[in-house]
Amino acid sequence: MTSVPAMLRRGLLPLLLLSAAMPLAILGLASIGSDWFFPALLPGTFSLASWRNVVGTGALLGPALLASAALALATGLAAMVFGAFAGSAIAAATGWRRVIGAGAAFLPVAAPPVALATGLHATLLGAGLGSSIVGVFVAHVVPACGYTTLYFLGIFTVREGGHEDAARTLGAGRFDVLRRVTIPMMHRELLEALLLGAIVSWGQVALTLVAGGGSVRTLPLEVIDYLVAGQDQLAATGSLLLVIPPLAAFGLMRLALRNVELVLP
Amino acid sequence: MRGWRWLQLPALLCGALVMACDRVAPEPTSRAIAAQPWDSVLAQARGSTVTWRMWRGDPSINAFIDQWVAPRLLERFGITLEVVPGQGPGMVNLLVTEREAGARGSSDLLWINGATFASLRREDLLLGPWADRLPNARYIDTASVIIARDFEQDPGGYESPWGQVEYALIYDSARVPDPPRSVAELGAWIDAHPGRFTHDQSFSGMTFLKILMYALGGGVERFQGGFDSTAYAAGRDSVLGWVTRHRAGFWRLGATYPAGVAELHRLFANGEIDFSMSNNENEVISKVRQGILPATARPLLLRDGMLANAHYLGIPVNARNPAGAMVVADFLLSPEAQLEKLRPEVWADGSVLDVSRLPEPWRGRFAAQARDPHALSPDSLRRYARPEVDPEYHERLTDDWRRTIRANTPR
Amino acid sequence: MIRRGAGLAAFLVATPVLIGIAYSALASVGLLGPGSTGFSTASWASAFDDPQLLRGLGWSLWVASAATALATMAAVVVAALFRPGTRSSGVARLLAVMPLPLSHLAAGVLGVLVLGQSGLLARGAFMAGWIDQPAAMPALIYDQWGIGLIVVLAWKEFPFLALIAFSLLADRGRALEEAARTLGARGRAVFWAVTWPVLWRGLMPAVVAVFAFVAGTYEATVLLAPSDPLALPLLTMERYTDVGVAKRGEAHVLVLIGLVVGIGAVALHEAARARDRRAT
Repeated sequence: MTSVPAMLRRGLLPLLLLSAAMPLAILGLASIGSDWFFPALLPGTFSLASWRNVVGTGALLGPALLASAALALATGLAAMVFGAFAGSAIAAATGWRRVIGAGAAFLPVAAPPVALATGLHATLLGAGLGSSIVGVFVAHVVPACGYTTLYFLGIFTVREGGHEDAARTLGAGRFDVLRRVTIPMMHRELLEALLLGAIVSWGQVALTLVAGGGSVRTLPLEVIDYLVAGQDQLAATGSLLLVIPPLAAFGLMRLALRNVELVLP
Repeated sequence: MRGWRWLQLPALLCGALVMACDRVAPEPTSRAIAAQPWDSVLAQARGSTVTWRMWRGDPSINAFIDQWVAPRLLERFGITLEVVPGQGPGMVNLLVTEREAGARGSSDLLWINGATFASLRREDLLLGPWADRLPNARYIDTASVIIARDFEQDPGGYESPWGQVEYALIYDSARVPDPPRSVAELGAWIDAHPGRFTHDQSFSGMTFLKILMYALGGGVERFQGGFDSTAYAAGRDSVLGWVTRHRAGFWRLGATYPAGVAELHRLFANGEIDFSMSNNENEVISKVRQGILPATARPLLLRDGMLANAHYLGIPVNARNPAGAMVVADFLLSPEAQLEKLRPEVWADGSVLDVSRLPEPWRGRFAAQARDPHALSPDSLRRYARPEVDPEYHERLTDDWRRTIRANTPR
Repeated sequence: MIRRGAGLAAFLVATPVLIGIAYSALASVGLLGPGSTGFSTASWASAFDDPQLLRGLGWSLWVASAATALATMAAVVVAALFRPGTRSSGVARLLAVMPLPLSHLAAGVLGVLVLGQSGLLARGAFMAGWIDQPAAMPALIYDQWGIGLIVVLAWKEFPFLALIAFSLLADRGRALEEAARTLGARGRAVFWAVTWPVLWRGLMPAVVAVFAFVAGTYEATVLLAPSDPLALPLLTMERYTDVGVAKRGEAHVLVLIGLVVGIGAVALHEAARARDRRAT
């Protein structure tokens, strides 16, 4: 006799496999197929035409991919550093300071993007950063910092500072403690925060559109434009490009963390 | 106080916001350019970069701009073309924000018409008058009411015509061999084939409603001569009455409407509905070539009259390179560029030139221009073309449709 | 690390949002932005006069609640079932978090391609002979209840919550569960007495963040939601990009309402946590 959990496990595994594999399979087909009308299960014609829009002359998707990647990386790094400091500071606070700190960290996460975007754009324009990639970076950093601050707030709330205290007792300076104790110990958390910040930037639409004045072209913006224009094949190719790099980053992170105790296999 | 250094950035941001609150007047330098002799405009444009803000969603249009227009501008005028995406309402938002912040302009040339032109003029965000001074302006078909009036507004030299299109329904000749050809026939068809017709919520869907308003409200003449609230109220009631009468025969019982024309095309291509529609009578032809619509899809005009309009190029008041923008607009108006744009395998966008005014060999070339076998004939296009009316009709009809039809689903 | 920096951190992270709120507040009363004509409360009046507002707000709250609840349940079940130990459960945990980096836009596109009345599900049903035309397929997208949108959003948010759930159980759950077993608790009792509380408390902040995000998300909503009721993010964007600039003020009113929803969720959560702390 098999137990109920075992049966559930056996039933859920194929579903999880489907949820993981389906996006790549379907977007892959849609990106090389056209004449794909009901009730056909497969496209009527196949062509690599949409992939020429990734590299060829006048290609829009390739440059947008690069812009998105640069923004995501820069945003992830900035948000990781900021979040670690802000999260630890708020976690160390007590009483009403802590409540205000946590509330503030929630603000950029809970605010709808348009609420952020318009005011931010006006400010950035005033500062001479409007409609530029730097302005878009600043705009992306705002919600990304909210997420990473919340993330580190959670981590530092449960983390005991015993090792740092020990190092300090042994005479280590503040910088040494950070470099030799905290950072090596928080390897995994820092990388996860980097990825979290990068993903927030990677998926942004409204902030990029408004803060970039439409001139800064990232991958999600190209995909939206193609969808609105009914160019489903190009939209699928763009969507596929949206899926692959984060998946690869995810895989790389797992490799890099081989030696660290991991929740994931 | 180490912490105070951190405060500088937010303080700067707050300061900028305060600055943003009092409006900075745009630099008046660019206005003078419009008055200079053409040779000096050409000289100033040489070696410059023109930033053109336009809709970038159609690969055929993009290819025409990037691979045909851009290299010629560089070769002949020494102008580097930089295309940035942007559309009507977004452009207005952007230009207003730029002015509020006193920031430098981020575009030199804008692709606009109708309501966008009205908004930009109302906010005094367009440079001009300059359009009538372009050398190629002498070939423009000024007798055509479609080109000479942009939604009844006088372009007044603040925008230069670039192309024209006519609204058309799209049907599948394999599924509906004998389509309805008038508004009355369409209504009967919807009643007889429930669930097979709808329109979208975006600009093109609302334009379809305006076509119904002309047809059911006594013709376009009733609505011409500026916005008239009495004429509008009568027109609106007849359109919304028509929709209510036939709503039960709409797709999903008229309880929901596709967001945009792309969704409408998708439903049509997959056989969920039997009609799509487009602002451009030739879109069906390019979408068939791209494999987005089935090969048997065809354009269709209603005998009650469709809508035709022109699209234009404007120069924003904060343009950094108005001279370059004028040269680009002039090149796009040239017989050569207009003919290329007209070709079905390029874009199939209507020319704004009066062929009889053209010198040879252009006159002959326009006459010999091959058309797609499934394209509508120029004669019927001309016969059913109705001009746009004051943009306020569009705005009000959209608003009233949203409130009285869309938000009131019979359940 | 910085010991006294909580106030500074809060200030830095909140300032850009406060600037945004200030801009929207000024724009909503006609002092800033396109179409502004000097102080007036007309935008507030006409926004609240529109019956679409309350219905759209209610609909967005329903979709966000349903999607968040579904995603949370799925994350809890998967985390509880696939504990570290065997190889197959490691594979399952990896598969569960795989869609994490997928953007909401791509998720929405997939929703259209799979769930539409002429989508892949419908095509499969046609091949199987269950339906003879798209209209015979139940409407899962553009539907009144937002079923397709809820499914897509829940699927999209599930990996995020699952990742946190895995981490919670690995960090604290294991030790507590062992303690409970040593004290004689068995099977279901361990789950309800130990596993569930650990997951529930640890997941709450993420659940609140997911709810606030989902309630305001535009990309998947515009692709999958019906036009009546019109979801709050769609209504906001429609005003923001309306052909007439006069509607911009209303857009900012709706922006502020969306903000209240997000902040309200956070405030409720903080209040519940405070009560929780007092109770224990």
